[in-house]
Amino acid sequence: MATNDADPAPAVRLGGLTYDYPDGRRALDGVDLAIASGESTALVGPNGAGKSTLLLHLNGLLPGRRKWGRSNPSVWIDGLDVARNAAAVRRKVGLLFQDPDDQLFSTSVLEDVAFGPLNLGLGKADARRVALECLARVDLEHAAERPPHHLSFGERKRVCLAGVLACEPSVLVLDEPTANLDPRARRRFLALIASLPVTKLIATHDLEMVLEICPRTVLLDAGRIVADGPSREILDDGPLLEAHGLEKPLSLALSSLDRPHCTFRDFVNGKDE
Amino acid sequence: MSPDGPLHRLDARVKLIAAVGFVVAVVALRPGSWRLLGGLAAILAVIVAASGVSPMRLLTRWLGFAVVVGFLAALTSRSLAERTGLSPALVVADLLARNSLAIVMMMVLAHVTPWTKLLGAMRRLGLPAALATTLAFMYRYLFVLRDELDRMTTARRARSFRRTGLSFGTLAGLIAALLSRALEREERVFEAMTARGWDGTLRTLDD
Repeated sequence: MATNDADPAPAVRLGGLTYDYPDGRRALDGVDLAIASGESTALVGPNGAGKSTLLLHLNGLLPGRRKWGRSNPSVWIDGLDVARNAAAVRRKVGLLFQDPDDQLFSTSVLEDVAFGPLNLGLGKADARRVALECLARVDLEHAAERPPHHLSFGERKRVCLAGVLACEPSVLVLDEPTANLDPRARRRFLALIASLPVTKLIATHDLEMVLEICPRTVLLDAGRIVADGPSREILDDGPLLEAHGLEKPLSLALSSLDRPHCTFRDFVNGKDE
Repeated sequence: MSPDGPLHRLDARVKLIAAVGFVVAVVALRPGSWRLLGGLAAILAVIVAASGVSPMRLLTRWLGFAVVVGFLAALTSRSLAERTGLSPALVVADLLARNSLAIVMMMVLAHVTPWTKLLGAMRRLGLPAALATTLAFMYRYLFVLRDELDRMTTARRARSFRRTGLSFGTLAGLIAALLSRALEREERVFEAMTARGWDGTLRTLDD
């Protein structure tokens, strides 16, 4: 699963990654980023900052075939150049999409979870076994034979995660994993994610989740990395967050209320000096 | 969902072949073979009874078809009447009877066979893989698209301030928006499939 300790290459490395949308707008502008093996990193930023676009680069879904032959590789997974090794990289990188309906296309839950293993070359019996194991990990083995559209949103989300885990990725890339989940489903999903011993990159607006499970935060805005550091520091920096369309997580704002000469409003606005 | 009857447990391939055979027989009859049609109707009645599907439910669904089919039959009855020598009224009755037998048979088949089983049966009976995959995707995303259309219609209604239905212009806009949303979704589905190692061949657990 994870790379061995002797391997010096970071699990994920972006070197000056630049990408333009088909209409010419710049989406990513010279993004440099290295994520060590086993690290959990949050990718935060306002809507349209380029978070999802960045994620799609991690297993070669972007820039897509049109720019396939370009000479300047800029994404490496475990030292592998994504542009040249897309198939190998997709075995390593598991991508969880925001909308489970985009990911669950099969007629039954089991069939969907087995999709990845079958594509990786496993036989039917092995694929079925792996799929059932992964469904058990997300507590959904009882739903194996049901059609995906009969499940609740939270259940579908967990089936998606099982489908990604079935490919045994060493890097897990999650796009808004907690969006649209009710508190109980969110809690459950967070516990699941936190329990996985793999490298994680999580794009999200859920800053409370970031505080909980990601020691490191990368702040992206307008296609550039604006800040990169420990989550507690970055998410405690009210002015920085507000300048980039975010706000200080309530838990941090409240905990700093204990300090003297400070009103709640000051804290939410970041004027805590 | 539905209670298991003897027909539910039957192999899907047997059910599919029998149902299609029944429809072919109904279609192949000469116009005006009332006795044979009656015989087939009796067989169908036995199957309906064995399937456990509520006759009221069949009837209400059948009525929707019957109105359309009756209308079309009435339109074509004159030319058909000349060729077959039956009176136009009899031609309409004949067409309606055949259509009803075929449609009710298919409704019963759908009732006693879950869609995944039916699709698996079609695959194993040699339906081309591309066609089977298309059917599977259609069924899967029909519900997603219907939900999407429902949301769009509700949102539209919430801003149109009229009691009547949507105008044709609005409807056309809705359909266009749904189409472009479907295309965007197709792109995301494709990306998600590629991310899990899809290379153009659909591999499944059964068969």
